[in-house]
Amino acid sequence: MDAALEAEGLVKRYGARTAVRDVSFSVPKGSIYGVLGPNGAGKSTTLRMIVGVLKPSAGRISLLGGPISRETLRRVGYLPEERGLYRSMSARGAIAYLARLKGTPARTAFRRADQLLADHGLEKIRNKRIKTLSKGMAQKVQVLAAIAHEPEFIIFDEPFSGLDPVNQRALEATIRAQAQAGRTVLFSTHVMEHAERLCERILLIAQGARAFEGTVSEALALAPSVAVLETDGAFDLAGALVPKGFAVTLEGEEHGNKRWRARLENGRGSRQLLQACVEAGAPLSLFEPARASLHEAFVALVGDKIKPSTVAE
Amino acid sequence: MGRIFLVARREYLAYVAAWGFWVSLLTAPILIAALIFAPVLLARAEPSRLLAVVAEQAADANAVIRAFEEQARDEARTEVRAFVGATAPYLAERATAAFDAESDRGAAVAAVRAIVAREAPRSLAAFPAPTPRYLLVEPPARGIEGLRPYLDGTRTLSSGHVLYGALNVRRDASGAPLIEYWSTNLQHDEPTIIAGRAMRLAMQREALARQGIAPEEAERLNQLEPAVAQFDPRPGAAQGEVTVRERAPFFAAIALAFVLWSVVFSVANMLLSGVIEEKSNKILDTLLTSVSPVEILLGKLLGVAAVSATLFLFWGALGGGLLAVAASKMSDSFVGQIAAAFLEPRLIAAFAVGFIAGYLMYGAIFLALGSLCESIQEAQTLLGPVAIVLSMPMLLIGPAMDNPNSPIIEAASWAPLFTPFLLLIRAPAGLAWTEIAAQGALMVATVIVLLFLAAGVFRAGVVNQLSLAGLFGRKTQKE
Repeated sequence: MDAALEAEGLVKRYGARTAVRDVSFSVPKGSIYGVLGPNGAGKSTTLRMIVGVLKPSAGRISLLGGPISRETLRRVGYLPEERGLYRSMSARGAIAYLARLKGTPARTAFRRADQLLADHGLEKIRNKRIKTLSKGMAQKVQVLAAIAHEPEFIIFDEPFSGLDPVNQRALEATIRAQAQAGRTVLFSTHVMEHAERLCERILLIAQGARAFEGTVSEALALAPSVAVLETDGAFDLAGALVPKGFAVTLEGEEHGNKRWRARLENGRGSRQLLQACVEAGAPLSLFEPARASLHEAFVALVGDKIKPSTVAE
Repeated sequence: MGRIFLVARREYLAYVAAWGFWVSLLTAPILIAALIFAPVLLARAEPSRLLAVVAEQAADANAVIRAFEEQARDEARTEVRAFVGATAPYLAERATAAFDAESDRGAAVAAVRAIVAREAPRSLAAFPAPTPRYLLVEPPARGIEGLRPYLDGTRTLSSGHVLYGALNVRRDASGAPLIEYWSTNLQHDEPTIIAGRAMRLAMQREALARQGIAPEEAERLNQLEPAVAQFDPRPGAAQGEVTVRERAPFFAAIALAFVLWSVVFSVANMLLSGVIEEKSNKILDTLLTSVSPVEILLGKLLGVAAVSATLFLFWGALGGGLLAVAASKMSDSFVGQIAAAFLEPRLIAAFAVGFIAGYLMYGAIFLALGSLCESIQEAQTLLGPVAIVLSMPMLLIGPAMDNPNSPIIEAASWAPLFTPFLLLIRAPAGLAWTEIAAQGALMVATVIVLLFLAAGVFRAGVVNQLSLAGLFGRKTQKE
């Protein structure tokens, strides 16, 4: 496997606190790679080490075939988690300025800025100052600024946060387009659905340590089986099955029916679940084995290490 | 170098594109001119203060009134002489002689005006109209009790004006004068000084008369005054005698030191607010993948230096042009000699070197401080001690004016943070080249050390998110 990035045993300490501990992973060239984890897991610290903003306390990074240097970083595009542009610059000027800092000649930088703004339907804000743009619009400009120098490797830190669903879809399309153009894209997120839709491989981080690294399907295989059930009326399936050791959660209600999701863990399969439902007298209208989500895989892998509130569905 | 230039260019354009920059550029010369001329204009605009003199003896009243008239005449003489000296110095001697030939103040001023109108008509429009600071009026009542309502504003004079003050000159049992001054302005006692001087002279004359000396002889004795001259013993001094021409470089150096101090403080503040703005805009992470912290630091220093250069070019061209005109057209006058001193190449060179060294030292310190602050408010709390250090050279201006080579000034000029300002102030005093070279080397070394330290602090501040809040236990570490 030809790797765009190889990280080995990355550690970052701040005094007595260790933010990242012994994280190793490899990003194949031309792939879309996700770094997943709850807030505070160490995702941004890991990415900041990759782009040379932070120096690792220990470990080794090979970026685009070599150590981190000004030369390799010129071939990398980076959207930081803490976003910001010069407020008095125009959208076009901001994109071109950051491209020029990466070594793009002035004429080319302005031409690409114009092209990117046009391709993304943003011609109207071309000459508008950043301070006059909405937060989401400014974020889109910064995404374009990160790719204006046509980097081989693009790193986005939490690129979807702050965007509405329509713009999240648009950004997903941008990421796919970059990958189709042969570029490697690595992004961090705490929203599993984006990774599930976009990524070939993922790295799960919890409490600064690697919880999983592999393909999305490998991660899903580690997740417990699930079943979707529907009951008629007000019957409380969770109240009946949770005491018997089944993990059952209410997913929603429709036309007076309740929709439940049950995780099949601890060696118990669909048959045992169905039998328990019958014994409890549950008025079942649907019983259907289903595919586990990446979120469920994540919770299964690191659930005991994180607080429930820190993982978004 | 290319990235440093890009950072510097952005920094420069960000400042010069702001409307505030142009407002400062254009208004600063006007404000400086206003600061210089406003006190003069305001003093001229103030109406004469009306005084009444009451005395037990008519001779005492006359002596005091004459003293005020002489004071007004002397002030008018000084004002018209200064005007002629500044605008037509070649007329100075003739104008003074014409003034002195007239006994009446108004006639004396008119005589000089006539000469200016004839010999230098283009200057006539600006010819001063000296207003006496005090006008003596006929007392509206006989005694102080009768004058009280006029003095406290209850009543006004027949002209409708308010009586500013009253002098009551009495004699005690031994015949010694006793002067009482009545006025609601408790801060001001100059009339007592003028009246006191007049009555002291009267007392001296009375004493001399008792010794049998005629009043004319007493007057002649009073006029006796030695001729005084000051000399510079150094071999380099041209004719040795110290005149305004020799003192002018000291005045110019002090003025330039003040300008240098103001500019260094202003531009260092630009750097401080610039880096805090970038921190609060969260743009540093984006920049740091393209530019190193040292490149950002150097780019900012270079960019703001270019902003300063733009200001200096404009103000320098404007001020330098005016000074050059003043120096060539009024070379014999006080103004012309001061203007020539400002244009002295060595002083300009000392100013330029002082600015570069001062800017780099204070700029590096302010940038480092800015990188540790999250907000302008936080920076302001830090600026207190820095402002005290910065104000030290200004506090030393007083002693430096008295003696530029005093031990305290000499010692302070070896403190690198003060050197740019004090070297400038001491430059006209004839510093040894070895001392200039040694202090120059000290400044260069300090600039290098400070830039190195500032780069370290800047890196810690912008990369590792080290902050004052963090140092004091309120650190919020990023993920």
